[in-house]
Amino acid sequence: MKILVCIKQVPDMESRFKPSGDGLWFDETDLAWRMNEYDEYAVEQAVQLKEQLGNEPELTVLSIGPDRVVEAVKKALAMGADKAVHVQDTVVHQKDPWQIASIIASYARDKGFDLIFTGMQSQDRGSAQVGVLVAELLSIACATTLVGFSYSDGVVNVKRELEGGLKGLVSLQLPALVTCQLGLNVPRYPTLPNIMKAKKKEIEAIPVANLLGEQAIAPTVEFYPPARKGGGVVLEGDVADLAQKLVAILKEKTTVVR
Amino acid sequence: MEATREIYWNIGHGVVLPMYLLVTAAVGLLVWGIWKRLDHWRQGKPLNRFDRFDERAKRMIAEVFGQERVFRVREGGIFHAIFFWAFLTLFIGTLLVMVQADFMAPVLKANILQGRFYEGFSLVLDLAGLAALLMLAGLFVRRFIIQPAGLEITDDDYRVHALLFAILISGFLIEGARMAATEMVTNRSLALFSPVGMLVAMTMANVSADGLLLMHKVLWWLHFALVLGFIAALPYTKLKHILLVSANAFFAPLEEKGAITTINMEDEEAEQFGTATAADLTWKDRFDADACISCKRCQDRCPAHATDKPLSPMKLIKQIGEAAAAGQETSLVEAIGEDAIWSCTTCRACQDICPANNEHVNKILEVRRNLTLMEGAFPGDEVRTAIGNLEVNGNPFGMAFAARADWAEGLEVARVNEGEEADILYFVGCYASFDKRNREVARNFVTICNAAGIRVGILGKDEKCCGEPARKLGNDYLYQMLAQENIETIKATGVTKIVTTCPHCFNTLSRDYRDLGLAIETEHYSTYLNRLIRDGRLALDKAEAQECTYHDSCYLGRYKDIVDEPRAVLNAAGWRVREMDKSGYDSFCCSAGGGRILAEEKLGSRINVARVRQAEATGAPVLVSNCPFCLTMFEDGIKTGGCEETLKVRDLAEIIVERIGGGA
Amino acid sequence: MKALLVCEYREGKLLDTTYELIAFANRLGAAKAAVLVGVEAAVPQFDGTLYLADVSALGEYNPAAHKAAILAAAEKEQADYIVFCHSSYGWDMAPRVAAGLKAGQVTEITALVDGGFEVGCCNAKMRRSVKPATTKTVLTIQAGAFTAVAPAGSPNIEKLDIPADGKGVTFGGYEPAEAKDVDLTKAEVIVSAGRGVGKKDNIPLIAELARALGGELGASRPVVDSGWVEHSHQVGTTGQTVSPKLYVACGISGAIQHLAGMKKSDFVVAINKDKDAPIGEVADVLVVADVLQFVPALTAQLQK
Repeated sequence: MKILVCIKQVPDMESRFKPSGDGLWFDETDLAWRMNEYDEYAVEQAVQLKEQLGNEPELTVLSIGPDRVVEAVKKALAMGADKAVHVQDTVVHQKDPWQIASIIASYARDKGFDLIFTGMQSQDRGSAQVGVLVAELLSIACATTLVGFSYSDGVVNVKRELEGGLKGLVSLQLPALVTCQLGLNVPRYPTLPNIMKAKKKEIEAIPVANLLGEQAIAPTVEFYPPARKGGGVVLEGDVADLAQKLVAILKEKTTVVR
Repeated sequence: MEATREIYWNIGHGVVLPMYLLVTAAVGLLVWGIWKRLDHWRQGKPLNRFDRFDERAKRMIAEVFGQERVFRVREGGIFHAIFFWAFLTLFIGTLLVMVQADFMAPVLKANILQGRFYEGFSLVLDLAGLAALLMLAGLFVRRFIIQPAGLEITDDDYRVHALLFAILISGFLIEGARMAATEMVTNRSLALFSPVGMLVAMTMANVSADGLLLMHKVLWWLHFALVLGFIAALPYTKLKHILLVSANAFFAPLEEKGAITTINMEDEEAEQFGTATAADLTWKDRFDADACISCKRCQDRCPAHATDKPLSPMKLIKQIGEAAAAGQETSLVEAIGEDAIWSCTTCRACQDICPANNEHVNKILEVRRNLTLMEGAFPGDEVRTAIGNLEVNGNPFGMAFAARADWAEGLEVARVNEGEEADILYFVGCYASFDKRNREVARNFVTICNAAGIRVGILGKDEKCCGEPARKLGNDYLYQMLAQENIETIKATGVTKIVTTCPHCFNTLSRDYRDLGLAIETEHYSTYLNRLIRDGRLALDKAEAQECTYHDSCYLGRYKDIVDEPRAVLNAAGWRVREMDKSGYDSFCCSAGGGRILAEEKLGSRINVARVRQAEATGAPVLVSNCPFCLTMFEDGIKTGGCEETLKVRDLAEIIVERIGGGA
Repeated sequence: MKALLVCEYREGKLLDTTYELIAFANRLGAAKAAVLVGVEAAVPQFDGTLYLADVSALGEYNPAAHKAAILAAAEKEQADYIVFCHSSYGWDMAPRVAAGLKAGQVTEITALVDGGFEVGCCNAKMRRSVKPATTKTVLTIQAGAFTAVAPAGSPNIEKLDIPADGKGVTFGGYEPAEAKDVDLTKAEVIVSAGRGVGKKDNIPLIAELARALGGELGASRPVVDSGWVEHSHQVGTTGQTVSPKLYVACGISGAIQHLAGMKKSDFVVAINKDKDAPIGEVADVLVVADVLQFVPALTAQLQK
């Protein structure tokens, strides 16, 4: 069996974000990077499936971006992926979901992957499109927002997380693509032997020009901080004073406190 | 009358050959018993504890004959030390008799055991014997009658006490019988030099001469047999500690306290990190289990044990021994228990007090290395999160690394990571950088240095966690990654002196980082300030005398022997220290060492609350510490323990900054 | 301009979010049509064409068939915009339709701005505006971002004949949510705990404040995921969407998913150490303080 897992390297969300010079995305100075949290669940599920099938499947991890994304790729290798593909693109942030999906589909098209795992969305852009678009471009079955996964005999059974705690039960015939939601599993902490083995695993570098054939169809026009909301009151100071002030406001503005 | 004694009186010189043969046989059995055990120890991995022979030998002799480690705990310790010296004296006495009988007399035709010397000899041996008997009685009462909590009584204890009593008592009985038949009759004044023997002899006043001779002979052979038994059975009784504990004083580590091997990450052959099964133990781990005499001093001092966690350092040592005996594949985590392994705060109180020089702490750290590096295990999800934060942002809080130097806003510091110059590099640490309470310490330290005319440099947002908590939880890989980055950054600045306000950073940079290539002098600010004050560079206002109690951080006191300097600094500022019972090397941990600052304390009662109560009990209104972990734990402990009205905790820097006076 | 609104039908009901779609279309100033895989008895009330495919033939979840239905309706209407709610149905279906039309998609729109559609990014800390470059566009709108209109009108229904082929995807029904011990949707006051609360042991502090205000305890997703509070207390897109009179967010930064669940609250108080936390966007009052210090003080003040 051949499995593909697609990951994205994103900045740590505790960072302070500033628009870059061209105002189209964030400035990269002083950012700490990590694997997109949703993708960690995708990698973990892919590795669990590989282990379930006696380690027979070959698991490939793919990421698009500049050289720094290799860190995230190495983590996926340390978690258990067999090999990696680094699509080299120093300006990946300029590409829209359609282009990203087409790059991945270009790569995957002739490889015969049985199952593709992605995260449900990225923590930075959050457009939640790439996974489903890849499935559409490859004409394979797809389900999103997985909080449950099981596989047997060519059929994938999943639980989709719906609103209000409800879950939808879906079965997919292979080949298929699934997008993973937080809480699907517990991503493993790579053991040191696996970290060391990962250093020897193959990372195939492919220039993005070899795979890109599409223009952006939903480009970002501007990236900016939110306008400071005028209406809200900000209270600071001694905690006891604040408590008094707030109770006074609640009495005035709501019917909740008498 | 001549002050001397006929050796082999009533026994006859014909005994010499069989005696030596039997003794040789007994010693042979002793050696064989130890020899057999060698195999068990040899199954452990190699470890070089035979280097620097002279240093080791000197230390062994000093410890064995000085009994200093035994003495550190008065209860029981005084008895054992005196017992040891007394028994040693008796042994030397016996040797002298042997030398006289089998060498001096036949070969040199001389007699050392005569005259004044013999008088002294007799008196000393008698008093030694009496002391030994009294001390043994004391030890007996302690173990069997008082029965201190946690002190086990095994069959071996009964046997050995019986054996020792028998040897000592039979010794006096022999002397009494001999004296009753000789000195008491012929040399009364000499008898005074063996007062105990004299008393015993007086009780035998009514025994017939033949009776005395028979009694003496029988007792002599009985005594001889008991001693042979003592020797031959030594490897199988707790008396083996005579050899093993002495040897352990030789084998004790010569490295700085707290040193642990730095895992070689380049070693591609390595398949196992840390200890998983008995096969991964070194010979020393196995040896320590045998050297352990179950005195429970370590257990008595363990803060985890004192607060009902499943950890006992003594049991741990024994469990490792049992696992080793059960077979090479025996799992150590199963033998000891995962909760016990994670409960350790590496405070070192166990290892510090152990009379047998056992090494408890690194055994635990090696098991943690296996849990972390081979199994990806954590003591809790909150630790997993903290480790993830360390990997992404270089601090356990998950705060953006770019904000690491925000605490220094408005202060005069040099950005040495940007090429500015400074007198010292202040390695701030994660807590002083990000934690609201601890930022005060950082700010105060800089203020104090500036007042002393010292230009302070910081690494700003390029500083990362020193890696110590990760390392103590077993993650040597993450530790090394953080360390390498710090070392590169520090080296690039060209600084020649580093000062820290955190004892953990201090230990790590001054000792552990040497293995990774950093050789820059690193000091803790308590000794640094002490010197500034002594050299007159920092003038302090002594105005109002104030009272406090002082907490010796584990990583300053026990690890680095820094006990006096912080007190000197407090005194220089006019503060009087009211000591807690557990202070100095006996200090009681705040609970946050061993990486546990990152973990939640879920088992038993709270260690920090226990310590806060100890501080409260001194009556001092202020508790002073100089470690960010201690400060954090005590603030929490004061709240949890409900002591807000009676006790405040302050850091040394906060105390000193208020007293900056005159002009530097 | 023509907007085709994709309505949702779940567990035998038409979802109310339909009326947020209508509100959005009104804001766009677009003519409205709607498409629904459902039943005639439960169609949205608006004036316009409703393209209806039979849910009993196709199933409530059948991406291939639903996609075909939506594309058929879009073709008939010559729609410029195909609009979904950003729900578990919407984010699953929208990219499929976008791929089918090779149309640009804008996800989770929060506002219309000059030059495009505004969406949140970087955990709601930043914004970006997107301007699709294709003639047809697929849009998803954030739950609660556009206030629902009242149902009014009556659609003319056009039935669609869609093959049921699931193309490898089979729907197996629903797994009900765990029994709820609390219905936050009915609560008048909710006090929610976020990661800023620190640890499970501190949850009782927040619960006490809730009691002092006569309300219920809520929680953000990370707090539920960490096991500090049961799922039934979760507020957010995958928990419950609430609209109390007073919402107090304790130590909650304000990730989009949470905001979406409580934006409809009448009055929002946020307590957070960080002055710039995104929750400040929706808060009527932001108290900049340590949750663990302020909450007990507030509780004490209320109990006086």
